[in-house]
Amino acid sequence: MVYIILGFNFPESRLVLKTVQHFYGIGPQVARHLLARLHIHPTARLSSLNSQTVLDITAELSSMKIENELRRELRVNITRLRDMGTYRGRRHAMGMPVRGQRTRTQTATAAKFNRVERLG
Amino acid sequence: MSLQTCWRCLARASSQSYPTRRPPQKPWTLYPASTAAFTTSASLSALPPKKKAKTPMTEKNIKGSKKTFIKKNKKSQRVDRSKKPAIGERRALRKRIVLSNTNALEVQGLKDITAQSIADQDLRGQVLGIPGLVVDQLRAVEAFKAAQGWPLFRRPAMLMRKDTLDLATEIENISLGIRDKTIRRVFVGERGSGKTVMLLQAMTIAFLKGWVVINIPEAQDLILGHTEYGPLPSTTPTLYTQRTYTASLLNAMSRANPILESFQLSQPPAQNEIPIPVPPNISLSRLALLGAQDPEIAWPIFELLYRELTLPDRPPLLLCMDGLAHAMRNTQYISHTYQPIHAHQFTLIKWFLDHLSGASPLPNAGLVLASTSESNSPVVPSLKLALSQLEGNSAVQKDPFARYDERVLGVFEKGGVEVQRMGGLSKEEARGLMEYWALSGVVRQRVDEGFVGEKWSLSGGGNDPAHLNSPGRSRVPFTEYQQTVKKAKSIVKQRIQKSRSGQQRQSEATGPPRSKRVGSDPSGERFALRF
Repeated sequence: MVYIILGFNFPESRLVLKTVQHFYGIGPQVARHLLARLHIHPTARLSSLNSQTVLDITAELSSMKIENELRRELRVNITRLRDMGTYRGRRHAMGMPVRGQRTRTQTATAAKFNRVERLG
Repeated sequence: MSLQTCWRCLARASSQSYPTRRPPQKPWTLYPASTAAFTTSASLSALPPKKKAKTPMTEKNIKGSKKTFIKKNKKSQRVDRSKKPAIGERRALRKRIVLSNTNALEVQGLKDITAQSIADQDLRGQVLGIPGLVVDQLRAVEAFKAAQGWPLFRRPAMLMRKDTLDLATEIENISLGIRDKTIRRVFVGERGSGKTVMLLQAMTIAFLKGWVVINIPEAQDLILGHTEYGPLPSTTPTLYTQRTYTASLLNAMSRANPILESFQLSQPPAQNEIPIPVPPNISLSRLALLGAQDPEIAWPIFELLYRELTLPDRPPLLLCMDGLAHAMRNTQYISHTYQPIHAHQFTLIKWFLDHLSGASPLPNAGLVLASTSESNSPVVPSLKLALSQLEGNSAVQKDPFARYDERVLGVFEKGGVEVQRMGGLSKEEARGLMEYWALSGVVRQRVDEGFVGEKWSLSGGGNDPAHLNSPGRSRVPFTEYQQTVKKAKSIVKQRIQKSRSGQQRQSEATGPPRSKRVGSDPSGERFALRF
């Protein structure tokens, strides 16, 4: 059986803890808190949940700022910095390190991520 | 002239044709040739395994001509072709309880334990077989543990030691109605002293006597955070139920206690109590199965079943729990406010501890037994303190730096909980056990008084304080033994110090030693070791 949560399909053997971490914006900490709120133990698998609990998880996730909404917020923040003409905004636009790192070598990560239209 | 080979190489096996200085040693044999092999399996008479054909260094291509080189295909080499274990296979192997060994010798004349002769004092030191039906019941309540050595013998049997017979007498008295009070007891003792086996023996006797047994085989399973849990509505402080575990417990109860089939539900439950309709004259066994099949209603069914079992004219109850320390601390479960949940907030643990503490008495009398564990036990200072004080060990006092859990201390505050320390066997019991081993083929020596005495003395001479005053035992009490060891250690220490100071004096007399200083003794004086 396949469980559909927020439009994503998950196999029933997947751990609930890992399932919720699939969504952008939910890491180990948030996932653990989320499961505690719903009284799901950390080793629970999707197959062990009843339909009401799956609905509860979906409801909890819907009320959180995750996925595209969170990505949009991130982009808006960077755009605001760039529009204000701040140093951080300019560095983002140039694809350079933002927080004072060296630029002589090892700027691959910055080049990869730092852009105005950051993906996430 | 120096040797061409080094001295170390001379020690190796030489390929020289002439004899070396040392004659070749005979190979060690485990058993003398005269003794027969123990095992009766056919592996000895089997033919030696065939030699595998060597893999050719060349392989044929399609045309049939031989190629000298094997084509290197790194990707195919990397593929792991080993068969992965199926889900749950390794766990099943780990938890598997083997109670029979067809290679073990069948013990001739092994008597079975019976309900009539259970408290017969003449049985002391004898090993009795557990009847097959009871074995099934014990298996159902998970009374057997994987590491108890059952696979060494043809069938499960148990030693009737003094503690067993005392417990059997108590169970007999309760069954006969001579005693109508619940006995609440915690078994403590060193690792391997037989605490868990005492629980098993209590369950065996209870099954034989027609009691209802409810066993929590490992308290750890309730607190590890790997079964489902949920809050119980309208409880302050919030109590939590474990529906899957409760369902499996109901299943075990139903399978292990066939006596439940003979009892029927006394009155239909209230509608708000059980969410499903329950037939009016349902047997208690079927009721338990209903709960086992549907974890959502497992806890209400358990409550109902327990209430039915405590009605008048129902059999006495035996409640057991192993690994008590786990039930005395915070669990791995987390509340909705992200705080750890204490074990006492779980309904099953609370239910058991209420009986242990005496808060909920058993109307039809019975036994509430718990056992601590020394091999798998968290550090719980409160439990340690409470048990030591109940045991009468006034030497253990409250540690001002330790944190004590009021909830744990509260369990034992009311009093009435007995603490029984399990210890070693007496010499007669050890003899009975070793004779049984010999008959089963585990011990191959002749078991006589000298052999038993030697083994018994070497193993500490049995360190059971309960047997100290029994006749025919000339042994040192354990505390006295500890003191003797302490004294011996201090004497050795003094001698070492004396010899060191003597050495120093000698070195001072002979002038500076040809050695380097390696430290100083506790008195601040320098000492040196000669090399």
